[in-house]
Amino acid sequence: MSFLPNNATVGQRLRAVVTSPNSGVVSVIVLVCIFASIKSSVFISVNNGFNIASQMVFILLLALGMTIVLISGGIDLSVGSVMGLCAGVVAKLMIDGVPMVVAMLLAVAAGAGLGMVNGLIITKLGLPDFVATLAMFGVARGLLYLWTAGTPFLDYMTDTYFIVGGLRRPFGYLTVPIIVALLATLIVAVTLRFTPFGRHLYGVGSNSHGAMLSGVSVPRVRLLAYVCSGLLAGVAGVLLAGQTTAVAPDLGTGYEVYAIAAAIIGGAALSGGRGRAIGAVIGTLTLAVTANAMNIAGVDPTWQQVVTGLILLLSVILDRASTLLRSRVVQIPIQPVAATTAATAR
Amino acid sequence: MRIRERLASIAAVEGVVVALVFVAMIIFFSLSSPYFLGSQNLRNLFVESTFTVLLAAGTSYVLIVGGIDLSIGSVLGVSAGLTLLTMQKTNSLPLAIAVGLASGAAIGLLNGGLIAGMGINPFIVTLATLSIFSGGLNVLTTRAQLTGTPSKSFASLAQGSVFGLPSPVLITAIVVILLELVLVLTPFGRRIYAAGINERAAHMAGVNLRRLRPQVYILSGAIAGLAGILLASKLNSVQPGLGSGYELTAIAAAVIGGVGLAGGQGSVWRSVIGALFLATLSQGMQLLSISSTWFTVVTGISIVAAIAFSRMTQRLAAAVRPAPLPPAPTQPEPSPSDDRTPAAAG
Repeated sequence: MSFLPNNATVGQRLRAVVTSPNSGVVSVIVLVCIFASIKSSVFISVNNGFNIASQMVFILLLALGMTIVLISGGIDLSVGSVMGLCAGVVAKLMIDGVPMVVAMLLAVAAGAGLGMVNGLIITKLGLPDFVATLAMFGVARGLLYLWTAGTPFLDYMTDTYFIVGGLRRPFGYLTVPIIVALLATLIVAVTLRFTPFGRHLYGVGSNSHGAMLSGVSVPRVRLLAYVCSGLLAGVAGVLLAGQTTAVAPDLGTGYEVYAIAAAIIGGAALSGGRGRAIGAVIGTLTLAVTANAMNIAGVDPTWQQVVTGLILLLSVILDRASTLLRSRVVQIPIQPVAATTAATAR
Repeated sequence: MRIRERLASIAAVEGVVVALVFVAMIIFFSLSSPYFLGSQNLRNLFVESTFTVLLAAGTSYVLIVGGIDLSIGSVLGVSAGLTLLTMQKTNSLPLAIAVGLASGAAIGLLNGGLIAGMGINPFIVTLATLSIFSGGLNVLTTRAQLTGTPSKSFASLAQGSVFGLPSPVLITAIVVILLELVLVLTPFGRRIYAAGINERAAHMAGVNLRRLRPQVYILSGAIAGLAGILLASKLNSVQPGLGSGYELTAIAAAVIGGVGLAGGQGSVWRSVIGALFLATLSQGMQLLSISSTWFTVVTGISIVAAIAFSRMTQRLAAAVRPAPLPPAPTQPEPSPSDDRTPAAAG
């Protein structure tokens, strides 16, 4: 919008807002908020705002990692399982008497290590991303089942861990998970925007051959993308173990789908080369606000999954409509099929 | 030396090595357990694998055209629920089968319409419909008691046998052979490959992508509907969550068989080999009484090992071979002189 002249008319300004990226999703969030605040006075309150924030941090951390992987042109189906396994690592180590900080660092390292295994399988053995991370999805989940022998890890919580998990709030409403998620968003945003690694990610994702010809080590960038994703899943696991106070063997199941959905709602594309950190935030916010609004508005739990799907669909349809409108505004002729499909295919 | 070269050129054909690994696995299991090749076990193996085989066959069409369909698991569940419901209300077998197939095709039409008509990413569209329709099955199962029907003819769909062959296996075999023939022999099949290899070129050559894509998704939905009918007949009851996770198994099966996620590469028989590979692995582990907690771990590692082995063999084969053949000799590409394709696409 910044390129609009100062004397732009209301119509021009409105059009710029409607056609800006993510406008479809943001309007869905606003609609859901209006609906929920009519249904219940509790929805618009500071307390509920932080409620939503603390519900979304885990998906946000995973969605940030997923955005990095998607930009590089890959996909990571293992993040939910890796998050669960890392939560298991920190819980088990603390039960065994390892100091909290060491246990946490080891858990985060385990996440990064699993991400590295993903990346090595993909870059060295040449397996498709989908298959390699699907296998890791099964292996990490299976390891947690074997390790816990089916019963949750319990009794590892300490006073400081209650603070780390966000169950005690030493700084008013702000909890440690929220602070960590904010920091992570900032770091990912800066990395994507201002560092060579960030530029290499976009290059590899949009045209890996071109990136290779201009001297970028494509395997290294892809490997690092998976390490980032695993590392963020490890951080999310450490925080989640603090919030749930028990690590069940199925902890984190299904989170990969939320993470992918959040990243894609936020504008990342499976074809690579596209995505932003703020997009991951907006995507996660859509999911979290919808879930929270449905609970507060008293939507029947059996219907919630249907409504989630419909809202997901509505937000991508609106975004698509906004993109089509934008391409009309800048007078790019829309070719019958190739132009519309080439932009979003795969 | 000549034998080596000949072997190398055989191994270089994608899918052959995975088939060999599959055979090796069968030999291993039959040596480890005397029951593995018993007729009862083989019967169970084939009956259990029919659902994955059907879904994987449908998935290969979607993957070859360059899309992805994550909704097939939920389509399977919904169509199973609606089939059983129709059977309970009307006791009419043809009507129940029609409802099952039609519900699958309708969801496919919704997917295909949004993907081709609006140009929205197939991953996110089918993820949304996955959520909508698995939620739909939850709603359906809370409203109606889907605990079975006394009808013998309905039960015989999946529990009967024809000429000593279990009828679901027979139905699946016929469908799979038809799908393979349509893909390889008809203009429709060639258009699918053309669209997957290079959608722009296909568009230029007169392929109507706006019509082709919905057709493929309708086909995938209808096949998932058929799998749902068979599963409803086999279980004679439908629970919430039925079919969830089948989509990942089907996609994994297709990719193990050598169908590319990037489109334009693969065939139905390769997906079927992948599906049988997964089914045999799980059946074999049960016979060797490997604890079920190890299943996901062993499955994940075997998938990676099988594909890595086949990739490495191909690479070695490519090194041995003197004159490089075209990258994928089995891949039927529409030749430029084929003037029927544009005409038929109209």
